[in-house]
Amino acid sequence: MALLDWAKKADFDMMFKRYNVIIEGPAIKPEDDPDVKKVLPKEEPFRTLAMAVIFGDTEKAVQAAKTALERTSPLDVIEKGLAKGMDAVSALYAKGAYFLPDIMLSADAMTAAMAVAEQKLGRAREKKGTVVSFVAEGDPHDIGKNLVVMFLKANGFEAVDLGRDVPDKEVIEAVKKYKPVMLTGTALMTTTMTAFPRVAKALQEQGISVPVFGCGGGAVKRDFVESYDMGVYGVKAFHAPKLAEAALAGKSWKEIRKEYPKIVGEFVAEYADRM
Amino acid sequence: MGVRRYTKMAYKDPDDMVFGHAKFPVLEHWNVQFGAGYVVPEVKVAPEAGTERSKDTLVKEMASIAEQAAARAVDIGLPAFMLEQEHVFQQTYHPDWGYACTLAQAEVLKKYYDEYGVRACLRQTVGDLRIEEKGGLRGSEYDNRIAETIEECCKAGASDIAAETMGGKSVLDYGVMRGDIKAILFGIGYLGSVDMEYFWTRAVNICSKYDTRPAGDTNCSGANTCMYVAGGLLGKDMSHTAAALARAISAARSLVAVECGATGPLKDCGYENTIIKAITGVPICQEGKNAVCAHADVMGNLTCQVVDCWSNESVFHREEMGGPTPAVWLQATGYEAALMNTAIQTGNAKTLRDLYTFTDMYRDPQGTLLAYPNAFRVGKAIVEYGKDIYLRARAAALEASKIMMEAYEAKLLQLTRFELDTLRKYTSILESLPMEAEIFVDQCMREYPRKIPTFDPKSYGL
Repeated sequence: MALLDWAKKADFDMMFKRYNVIIEGPAIKPEDDPDVKKVLPKEEPFRTLAMAVIFGDTEKAVQAAKTALERTSPLDVIEKGLAKGMDAVSALYAKGAYFLPDIMLSADAMTAAMAVAEQKLGRAREKKGTVVSFVAEGDPHDIGKNLVVMFLKANGFEAVDLGRDVPDKEVIEAVKKYKPVMLTGTALMTTTMTAFPRVAKALQEQGISVPVFGCGGGAVKRDFVESYDMGVYGVKAFHAPKLAEAALAGKSWKEIRKEYPKIVGEFVAEYADRM
Repeated sequence: MGVRRYTKMAYKDPDDMVFGHAKFPVLEHWNVQFGAGYVVPEVKVAPEAGTERSKDTLVKEMASIAEQAAARAVDIGLPAFMLEQEHVFQQTYHPDWGYACTLAQAEVLKKYYDEYGVRACLRQTVGDLRIEEKGGLRGSEYDNRIAETIEECCKAGASDIAAETMGGKSVLDYGVMRGDIKAILFGIGYLGSVDMEYFWTRAVNICSKYDTRPAGDTNCSGANTCMYVAGGLLGKDMSHTAAALARAISAARSLVAVECGATGPLKDCGYENTIIKAITGVPICQEGKNAVCAHADVMGNLTCQVVDCWSNESVFHREEMGGPTPAVWLQATGYEAALMNTAIQTGNAKTLRDLYTFTDMYRDPQGTLLAYPNAFRVGKAIVEYGKDIYLRARAAALEASKIMMEAYEAKLLQLTRFELDTLRKYTSILESLPMEAEIFVDQCMREYPRKIPTFDPKSYGL
């Protein structure tokens, strides 16, 4: 077979390069990463809590939270321990050292441990703000929305998940009810993404203003999202908390559109003209 | 017709597989054959956003897409082509819209066939509207409307019917997001296969009443989701070795359509189709380098290797510098098919096949897996356990793992630590899974219903 002969003779470097292999540095422990060192607490019990989150170890995180709560306030357990672990995980993800499943397992560990702390606290920790998320009417593809919701929750936001195939009316009602700092809509198809301008228009007609209406998904592109008011094209799911934080800080959708790469803190090809 | 499980390979030697030739060619109106010695180019274009606002505007849009594609086919001298229309929500949700849209396109194709003799066929790919948490996958309003729309499309002149069903997706998505290979196997390999049998038994029955072929179904919602999430070489969301394992599992699942009576040509975005062709001998559609309008993959040439109908991927209906997108993208797939047909006519088909394959065989583990000699090996692993939908999916994944490890150890395939670690970890989990479907399902049912709120076991008879 020609393939076997070619495999012996060909210089693959002239055909393709696996850049992911080429750029891969030596294996280091997560806690030795310089960006992790910056956020990782040095003192106990916070370091153990953060490390359990970094390793996505739910059992250990829950146990560490229970032990810590004997001497430490629930809010400190959350803010100085668990949340710092999640900050480290975000840093590792942003630089490509961690991958999506790592983040999900860390988020699961953080959620479980936080529930223990909140039980002691007697109430839910105060959230940074509320975000409402939905998948456009007629569209059953929800993995993008699920990621957005996960990233928001892991970053301290209350994420109201309306699900998939959500009628416009339900979105409007939810916005009225929760008064979110951000609304997110996702769609895979060109013909379902038309829900976004319809929702934006209906909100405007009813005099309801949302600081940001983040829209993204398979066929959704920036020029489409920027064709209606409030719309900000979301490129990656993990950008969602940063956009919500920008809105919380008082930035308008027009400013967020303009400063998108700066707000998310990285090069974004889709916004290359606004770097 | 009952479900006929495959326990033997249609091809005895992978070298017998080549583009444009299938063991069991398929004839569709208007006089297009697939796998009968030539490759047919295909084009599909999504209607412009907003045209779905009324039946009238959508029907006009469909006719316009067909007219623009057919005109370009004649302009550049294509002997044959396929027009595929992937339904938007409204087209499947309203059976009368599905009928009118199909009729409008069929009339255009027939007109060109009568006037120029250009052989054309019309694929209608119905949308899988069903949602587990909204009435379930069986007998819900959405489900019933899909059946009605299939029938209306057949009546209106569809040459074949295809689908991209979503069975098992809720569990699969959970597996992708948490790196849980057991969930991926359960979602695609088991639940997906169960739902495929439900969906395709019915679809085949409907099509059999008309001059419409039940073509097949790809795991777009599963294995393509994995490929899409895995992304390019710098992607941060899923290991490419994991995406390759999901692809191998998806072959065991997409095979079910053929086992229910689907004839091919199998739908294009099923990168698993090479494996299914090796098992069944039915013709396949494929996409790759001309799918750049919709997504980036890392095996753009390789997927040409044994194709019978070469396609683009959905693109907006709009004007490009070279004309409207139905024309432009048919031209792109048309010239690729012309190259393959020239190779066939000049006795160079196997050389070109191998060039296509070798270009991408070691670019990425997904290409290594799908290179036709390796795809053939996965097929053999599937038929060895052909009668058991769980065991054959597990066997496909384990064989895929072996193929990637062999290529890695031979220093042909480079892997990152993440890719290698994932592969080793997932392989060890797969090896530890039970050899009895009943026990596996029982294990999964103890775990996933409580973890995944959108998973509806009843939709799978569980």
